[in-house]
Amino acid sequence: MTDLHAHTPISDHLEKVTGRAEFISDVVVPGMLHGKILRSTVPHGIIKKIDTSAALAMPGVVAVLTGADVAQLNNHWGPSLKDRPLIAIDRVRYVGEPVAMVAAEDERTAEEALELIDVEYELLPYVTGAEEALAEGAPVIHAKPEALKDFYFKGEAKPVPGTNIFQKYAYEHGDVEKAFAGADRCFEGRFEFPMVFHYAMEPHCVIASFHNEGLTLWSCGQSPTAVQKVLSRVFEMPLARIRIISPYVGGGFGGKASVKIDPLVAALAWKVRRPVRVCLSISETMLTARRLSATVDVKTGVRNDGTIVAKSVRILMNGGAYADTGPAIAVKAANRAIGPYRIPNLKLESVAVYTNTVPGAAFRSIGGPQAVWASESQMDEIASALDIDPVELRSRNILRCGEHVRPDLRPIDVEMAEAMDIALKEMTKLQSLDADAKTFGGTALGISDPGIMPVASVLMRLKIDGSVAVVSNSVEIGQGVREVLRKLASEQLNQPMHAIEVLTPDTAIAPFDWGTAASRSSLMMGLAIEDAAKDIRKQIADIAAIVFSAEPSAVRLCEGGVMIGNEKKTFNELLHSYYGIDSGEIVALGRVSPHSNGGRLAQAPLFWETAAGRCGIIADVETGEVKVKHYVSVADVGRALNRAGAEGQDEGASIMGLGHTLSEELIYEDGQPINATMIDYHVPTIDEVPENFVTVLIESGTGPGPGGMRGMGEGAILPVAPAIANALATGYGIRIRELPITPERVWRALRDKRKV
Amino acid sequence: MTEKQSLSFVLNGESREVSIDASELLVDVLREKCGMKGTKRSCDVEVCGACTVLADGLPISSCTTLAIDMDGRDVTTIEGLARNEKLSRVQQAFVDHAAMQCGFCTPGMVLATTALLETNEKPTDAEIRHFLRGNICRCTGYIKILEAVKSLV
Repeated sequence: MTDLHAHTPISDHLEKVTGRAEFISDVVVPGMLHGKILRSTVPHGIIKKIDTSAALAMPGVVAVLTGADVAQLNNHWGPSLKDRPLIAIDRVRYVGEPVAMVAAEDERTAEEALELIDVEYELLPYVTGAEEALAEGAPVIHAKPEALKDFYFKGEAKPVPGTNIFQKYAYEHGDVEKAFAGADRCFEGRFEFPMVFHYAMEPHCVIASFHNEGLTLWSCGQSPTAVQKVLSRVFEMPLARIRIISPYVGGGFGGKASVKIDPLVAALAWKVRRPVRVCLSISETMLTARRLSATVDVKTGVRNDGTIVAKSVRILMNGGAYADTGPAIAVKAANRAIGPYRIPNLKLESVAVYTNTVPGAAFRSIGGPQAVWASESQMDEIASALDIDPVELRSRNILRCGEHVRPDLRPIDVEMAEAMDIALKEMTKLQSLDADAKTFGGTALGISDPGIMPVASVLMRLKIDGSVAVVSNSVEIGQGVREVLRKLASEQLNQPMHAIEVLTPDTAIAPFDWGTAASRSSLMMGLAIEDAAKDIRKQIADIAAIVFSAEPSAVRLCEGGVMIGNEKKTFNELLHSYYGIDSGEIVALGRVSPHSNGGRLAQAPLFWETAAGRCGIIADVETGEVKVKHYVSVADVGRALNRAGAEGQDEGASIMGLGHTLSEELIYEDGQPINATMIDYHVPTIDEVPENFVTVLIESGTGPGPGGMRGMGEGAILPVAPAIANALATGYGIRIRELPITPERVWRALRDKRKV
Repeated sequence: MTEKQSLSFVLNGESREVSIDASELLVDVLREKCGMKGTKRSCDVEVCGACTVLADGLPISSCTTLAIDMDGRDVTTIEGLARNEKLSRVQQAFVDHAAMQCGFCTPGMVLATTALLETNEKPTDAEIRHFLRGNICRCTGYIKILEAVKSLV
């Protein structure tokens, strides 16, 4: 038997390492124009006048699009609240909002023409902070945003008309107030998490083209069908006339999820009736999407032995000028603040508000890092006050596999105690190597309920020569989904890896899928491939029965064909006999819905995505600089289909977490983002990576996917910040409650401690 | 508009002559006029390294280099590393260690690593980190990149 799992290089890696991989920014559509965007320079204002005449007169400029052009379109959209105009119409709500757009024969001309556009604003009062946005008399940024039910996520947002609140969420079980009153000790704290920027290396890039068959977009969107749906509403065109093609995408992390610049680019193409390419600069992507900042108030009541009796969490999130998927993020932040602990009395509240800042958006584990930062920092504060070891405190409260995080959610399906134990043991080994400078350890745990809609489908086409095309809308964004689908199809059809081709996503040929996000694609497409393979096996058995009088139960797939009892027939022999010509294929659709697998996928969450992190740090007490020398990341992923790839996801998530922990923060002053360039905004570089980094992936086989897999790729970002803050508290006696943990904050905390 | 100038240089081992504007950036000339789309544009400000190419064997940011400054020089892009369909040893190490994810930083990272090993055959861990800190990767967390580079030392 051929080893189906023999090592073959990951196919997209060969393309990527040679520079041949085609990203959207490399695609050329014949006759395409280039678009550039003029952005608002004021945080909130009425557009009094836009003069485009000088720009239009410039040689090479084809058109300028402004709000006036889109009056006849269904010109507002949003994945949750229909609050965003295609391009600013009469009003701007944040610095960076698109106000006008030039289409020209080349990028340089388009860029130069922007300078010739004259915009006059009447300034309005603005708010950039979430607290200010809630205050009496704050300017209301959207008077009455329309909530869309079941549009992208199930359910709908609950905006409060006449205020800046676009989502309010509350949950309670037990009697929290009574339990606090009866607790031995109560701990309260406020934790701040800043706005942070995704910085996918490839800036957003879209090419749009209207033609006789409708509208085609080459899109960097992580959710091609969501883009298709929004465009269908905006242009009032049937879905079947809108085609979204998704070449390789240079990273997203949520910044390209749901829908971003696609409607804007399509509007320009609609105006000029020629293909238009818009490729943002990184500075512009920083004005396109960012993580929601959050203020998290946590109160925990415990007995003297550390047993948690009650917890309440109140989260205020700054959602920026347009809600995007903020309403869902606010709900997830609340759930992700719970932690893997038994909490008999629990109260969660979250509120998300509009402000005059860059729109908030999904970002790796939506709401998770904000919530876990607060909850896991407070766990260590409790441990310290009760003089219990922080790991021991967690152990005393930790949920066993099968226990409920919340009674209405699926029970937790992993053993967090095991993951925490491994993290501790691995770190102890690393710390035993410490020579002169001793490192201090800190632990944190994170659990999240992925927002996975069990809605996916895949097309598999088995050709007469034994090659197989896997056609799906799962976007290859660096997570390695193409290779995973290849492996799953290979396994399910018992064919060698080299026989499987995973095609570029194209909504014209790929069946519906919800999107590439929320750690869902490998799992969802895995289930869909399982379903499609079942259908292929059935069709083959039926054909073998017709042409070779085979008993269906005696037919099984083997490399390149089928075994009928002990006799091998190639796919060619089978299909040639069946069709009468030496051609043909078998096509199967695999589908996942809330009704699949006997309804077992319907309950949320489909699985729990978790992580245990432990760090070993050293702080320079003179400068306040924190150096993470060791880090251990542990997660139960069920099954790692591509081990190196899975480890890479975990490592990438951890180091991304290191960024928001130590340096990343988008700063506003006077309504302006003052560090929205890569010169002023620092993401981790290779010299900041811990000297020792250990990734442990537990393969318990307990996930809901093929072979017991579950989704992964986000969880590891959760524990990083609180683990580091906890290590600082343990080692240096300072408790930082505001991210990022900059040298200045550490230095000030150390100085304040000395004063006391 | 500036007047056209002629740029003569060696690109991936071949002599090339290209008509350019004096103000054109190397990244644009390589991508748009020479078809070397493996050179990626990201930060525009010489911070991220995605646009890295080698000029006479040393890494430079093509996003902030005038193309005309390459006149008479030898430029290598990612397309110039694999010879006769055979990966260079740096490329092979990146593939073997799965040292990439989205792949957008990969050309620059591979070229910077190539230059590092050309100038310093046995770099220490600290030297690797120092040399490559001008190349940002947002996906991998650099762990597998460090493994790949160390496998060549």
